[in-house]
Amino acid sequence: MNAARERVERLLEAARRIQDPATDLGHRARSALLGSTRLSAEGIELGLAECLETEPTDDDLAALFASVRPAARTHVLLSGNVFVAAHRAIAIALAASERVVVRASRREPHFARLLAEAAPGLFELVTELEPARGDALWAYGGAETLEALRAGLPHGVELFAQGPGFGVAVLEASFISVENARALALDIVRFDQRGCLSPGSAIVVGDADDALAFGRLLASELESLGREIPLGPLEPEELAAVRRHRDTMAYARTELWASPGYVATGSSNELNPAPGGRALEIVATTDPVALLLPRVSEITALGMAVGESLARALDQALPGARKSALGRMQRPPLDGPADRR
Amino acid sequence: MTLVEASDALHARVRAFAEGKASDDFEALALAIARFQAEHSPRFAALVKSRNARLESVDAVPAVPTDAFRVTRVAVHPPERDRVRFMTSGTTRARAAHGVHPLRTTETYETVALIAGARALLAERGPRVVVSLAPVPDQPPSSSLGFMMELFQARWDGRALDGGPFVTRDTARFLVGPSGVDVAGLERAAGVARERDEPLLVLATAFALVGLVDALGERRLAAPPSTTVMVTGGFKGRSREVEKNTLRRDVALAFGIPESHVVAEYGMTELSSQLYEGTLPGADLRGEPDVLFEPPWLRVVPVDPGTLEPVADGAIGIARIVDLANVDSAVAVQTEDLVRRRDDGIELIGRRPGAIARGCSLALEALLQ
Repeated sequence: MNAARERVERLLEAARRIQDPATDLGHRARSALLGSTRLSAEGIELGLAECLETEPTDDDLAALFASVRPAARTHVLLSGNVFVAAHRAIAIALAASERVVVRASRREPHFARLLAEAAPGLFELVTELEPARGDALWAYGGAETLEALRAGLPHGVELFAQGPGFGVAVLEASFISVENARALALDIVRFDQRGCLSPGSAIVVGDADDALAFGRLLASELESLGREIPLGPLEPEELAAVRRHRDTMAYARTELWASPGYVATGSSNELNPAPGGRALEIVATTDPVALLLPRVSEITALGMAVGESLARALDQALPGARKSALGRMQRPPLDGPADRR
Repeated sequence: MTLVEASDALHARVRAFAEGKASDDFEALALAIARFQAEHSPRFAALVKSRNARLESVDAVPAVPTDAFRVTRVAVHPPERDRVRFMTSGTTRARAAHGVHPLRTTETYETVALIAGARALLAERGPRVVVSLAPVPDQPPSSSLGFMMELFQARWDGRALDGGPFVTRDTARFLVGPSGVDVAGLERAAGVARERDEPLLVLATAFALVGLVDALGERRLAAPPSTTVMVTGGFKGRSREVEKNTLRRDVALAFGIPESHVVAEYGMTELSSQLYEGTLPGADLRGEPDVLFEPPWLRVVPVDPGTLEPVADGAIGIARIVDLANVDSAVAVQTEDLVRRRDDGIELIGRRPGAIARGCSLALEALLQ
């Protein structure tokens, strides 16, 4: 086993201990994350159980190592939106460098700290990053944060910026089913739609009646999941964005109540992704590629329930978006950055 | 009563209210318009239903988000009855995102624009030379600001600069082109005003005024001392930003006029009415700089962005605007502009963080890039 693989394996072992509710670390993680993730306890458990990639295949790891260039030192600036993303971000850095320096999110610092505690000496946690010439910096965050970072970066630092985006689900009408509605509802519920892979919009290839039919199934599944995995608290800015989107959708589309969120369906020639709050816009169209292309630079993930022909067309039109089945949009394998744009 | 008859009756009531000819009550008129819109617009009726609203008080009327104008048609009447379609100049970081405000008639728009504008921008009676630092409007008009500017030119001046009959879309009056502000054209207009011994009224976007100030450098315009400059639009986080009081000072210096002659206007495509500062000496509207006054037919309520409930007096909220002149679209509009109440008016603080950059100045910026 080479050194990079050993480093990543140590991280995976640390993550497994946090994932396990029977360990002291696992117990403390659940308590700490409740205060910092804005997720419910059930939402945190869902993230740990299903979205923390602790059992990658050899092929996944080979892809992970192939996705990075070796660097003497790699810095990582973490975002706080999806707590398990710290694991992937640090794994990428460890794949590239023996020396890894991490600045945790101020909003959600616990997961990175727990990983550091579980794997002492594997990487260094700092309060401020000080990258120097020749270093690599992987930065995860909002557009303004990344813009400011880019402007103030010392010369010679290689920046890998992972910015905001959103996911889109695409279904052909013949794939409308309770199972697919349940799968997409899970994609929506995971991390309460705060991830860059989270679906904000869905496209039904069909007419408005098809979109409405799928919307009804999805609303029912969202309500059901909402009882099992309650929505966490929304911050004022999130609440404002959800309120505005909801009123806009109530005016412009057919709105379906999906407590605690909503589903809006209708025909449109543009996407208006939901900003969170377990909501989704479903647009009916006969030409999904035309609908997606204007937003191609923003689309990070496609969850698909389509035939082979459309799958090929989507792959060609959005080569940088991660493709997966519905229900797996927020569960990318540990094969490199989540965002491939 | 048909839709058009009902609409015409409401328009007439609003115009009479604005002209002070009727003893109509703001609340009653707003509710009558809201009920008319709920009856004739299934979309607005859906919003009312979604919010479980009862149209029994103005505060209960659901405000239509400005985003809705971008996402769908906001009108009670069918497209074939559109007289004009005003378009927003909004853009996101990645793509154009135009909103549309269709008007079945411009009569009410014109009436209220002239009344509100006259109260703020006209310090004395008589003719004046009116020019605009804005691009020549499209035909048919697609910019509400361009439409309003041309209306003011026609009604408050009504002549060509060379003394001939008034012509529309006059490049001698719309003094922004692909290469920027037509400084020579502005100097010509100022010269005409001086020769006629009339005031000069300059209607301008903030972005155009920055361009003018930059183009002038240390030079000063030989403008009449009675010159008034109406400034509208902001910078919305794009291109070069200038603090509004710095711009006011620079513009006053450029024209050689007191800062009180630089009057801010606030309007948006989704509305049919405008708010103004009351700084111009001799004008009907009087108030401190940075305080925008609502005309009697429009009300601004700062509301919490999350709950949409009114915030405490003096606290900052996003502007919910009830505009009686929006008879055929949305009588209550929910903006993302941050405002607070101050001195019987409102103070514009800026845009809610994360909101889509939009506004009149952007059209000029797009033109110049």
